[in-house]
Amino acid sequence: DYDLIIIGGGSGGLACSKEAAALGKKVMVLDYVVPTPLGTSWGLGGTCVNVGCIPKKLMHQAALLGQALQDSRKYGWQYEEQVKHNWGIMVEAIQNYIGSLNWGYRVSLREKSVTYLNSYGEFIEPHKIKATNRKGQVTYHTAETFVLATGERPRYLGIPGDKEYCITSDDLFSLPYCPGKTLVVGASYVALECAGFLAGLGLDVTVMVRSILLRGFDQEMAERIGAHMETHGVKFIRKFVPVQVEQLEEGMPGRLKVTAKSTEGPEIFEEEYNTVLIAIGRDACTRSIGLDTIGVKINEKNGKVPVNDEEQTNVPYVYAIGDILDGKLELTPVAIQAGKLLARRLYGGSSTKCDYINVPTTVFTPLEYGSCGLAEETAIEEYGKQNLEVYHSLFWPLEWTVPSRDNNTCYAKIICSKQDNNRVIGFHVLGPNAGEVTQGFAAAIKCGLTKELLDETIGIHPTCGEVFTTMDITKSSGQDITQRGC
Amino acid sequence: GPLAPHSRAFGTSAGCGSTFNVQDGSDFQDRVVNNPKPVVVDFHAQWCGPCKILGPRLEKVVAKQEGKVLMAKVDIDDHTDLAIEYEVSAVPTVLAMKNGDVVDKFVGIKDEDQLEAFLKKLIGA
Repeated sequence: DYDLIIIGGGSGGLACSKEAAALGKKVMVLDYVVPTPLGTSWGLGGTCVNVGCIPKKLMHQAALLGQALQDSRKYGWQYEEQVKHNWGIMVEAIQNYIGSLNWGYRVSLREKSVTYLNSYGEFIEPHKIKATNRKGQVTYHTAETFVLATGERPRYLGIPGDKEYCITSDDLFSLPYCPGKTLVVGASYVALECAGFLAGLGLDVTVMVRSILLRGFDQEMAERIGAHMETHGVKFIRKFVPVQVEQLEEGMPGRLKVTAKSTEGPEIFEEEYNTVLIAIGRDACTRSIGLDTIGVKINEKNGKVPVNDEEQTNVPYVYAIGDILDGKLELTPVAIQAGKLLARRLYGGSSTKCDYINVPTTVFTPLEYGSCGLAEETAIEEYGKQNLEVYHSLFWPLEWTVPSRDNNTCYAKIICSKQDNNRVIGFHVLGPNAGEVTQGFAAAIKCGLTKELLDETIGIHPTCGEVFTTMDITKSSGQDITQRGC
Repeated sequence: GPLAPHSRAFGTSAGCGSTFNVQDGSDFQDRVVNNPKPVVVDFHAQWCGPCKILGPRLEKVVAKQEGKVLMAKVDIDDHTDLAIEYEVSAVPTVLAMKNGDVVDKFVGIKDEDQLEAFLKKLIGA
């Protein structure tokens, strides 16, 4: 019936569908959200729009505004009222915005003549899927080509009480009551970002970490992020894992008792919380869409789909994009780019492949972390320490001086390849507006940025970004980078 | 008393029977398309701020027309098919319907005088 059927209406699926339709193809998108154990669901648009990047950044902003209010008094603003935060007002405003985005996606699919089904799709035979809607009604559809874009969902701990009493990021952004005293389990960027803004809104927050923070990220930066959060009141319990969650009292929020065990000995930890947020990782939604029926291979360990550099699976007419790809970055812009380019290669005669190298990212913890390129430890592994020159500097944003906030906390680091003209192969910045700062440098890195070019670039003053144009001190010199005075 | 901005309950608001919430597609056929009287259709959404201002304002002006025009409210998330059929992209979108045809339309907020003029034109006064 169709040229292309896409399973999954998130960042990747929607981008691919619109591009294919613009190229004149008959396209169908299926999107279906299986409700969370607590019953939370959402509309068209995928994780990013509904339970990811968008609400996350808005809540991060809410927390930053709280900090700004505190700073404002130092800048002369005077007001009598004690400032407090209303969770309900914030959630309603954010959910209203998300609602408008869901509708916007429906309209844009309609405008591009893409058929949209709010149904769960699964393969029943080659080239054919079964679509089941919320009411259980079933329809069947066939297509020449398929794209898997089903994304991921949060993983649970697998301990007593996890699904019954704990929430995940899927529930947090539309939670109809303030979470109160919260335990965040996990050390992923989701865990730290959520712990960060919850603490910023004034809540009592503890993070329980099994081993390291932000696995896969530059560990020096990860530890600095953690240290900053700790300085600002977030409690960390390191090297413990929860073994049981019991409900002491029902409510919105209720009272939960968490029991945890040390990973290094017999020590037990017990504490009461209003909310337990599990953020230990996400699993690909590939296990029950009939992939085995048509022979699409997945990585059994993590459920992800291995593809070649054209996003094709082992079954030639089935492609995959987005978070479910094995070994690729889980980022909205990557999924969108991959989706668009795939449609152009399939139907537009293009041969451009998605470039997964030097993709910039930002972690929106209270102290934001932007990066592009390699982590220091990865660079050392790939190039050898002697072939690298690492320049670094602490910096104090001008705006933080008046309120005397966090001196010698913001940090900038670039990793250069000595054998390649001191080419910048790793860019890291810890400070306010890290995403905005990093975006431009990502383009420069794509152009082959070197340390010399950076030095020749004149900085904009007074900004945080300018620190990268005047970095003199190398790690190898051992010189102190502590900032003194003005 | 104050009008409920976008009440989803059965029954009517203070418009004394001139405003109703559309229940489904066939309800729309019966009470809007096949209505001998002209009907204004207010497409709105829960998440839409301006809708919460326009809704009560339009209801008030409709009530002043002494039953010569009726008002139907459609929540676009509850009745997406209907909204798509009538090509609603942004909300609020208000359609003026007479004998099953869309004879006029506007998108966004209007003040009371503008709404008065819109309704008078529909009634044919």
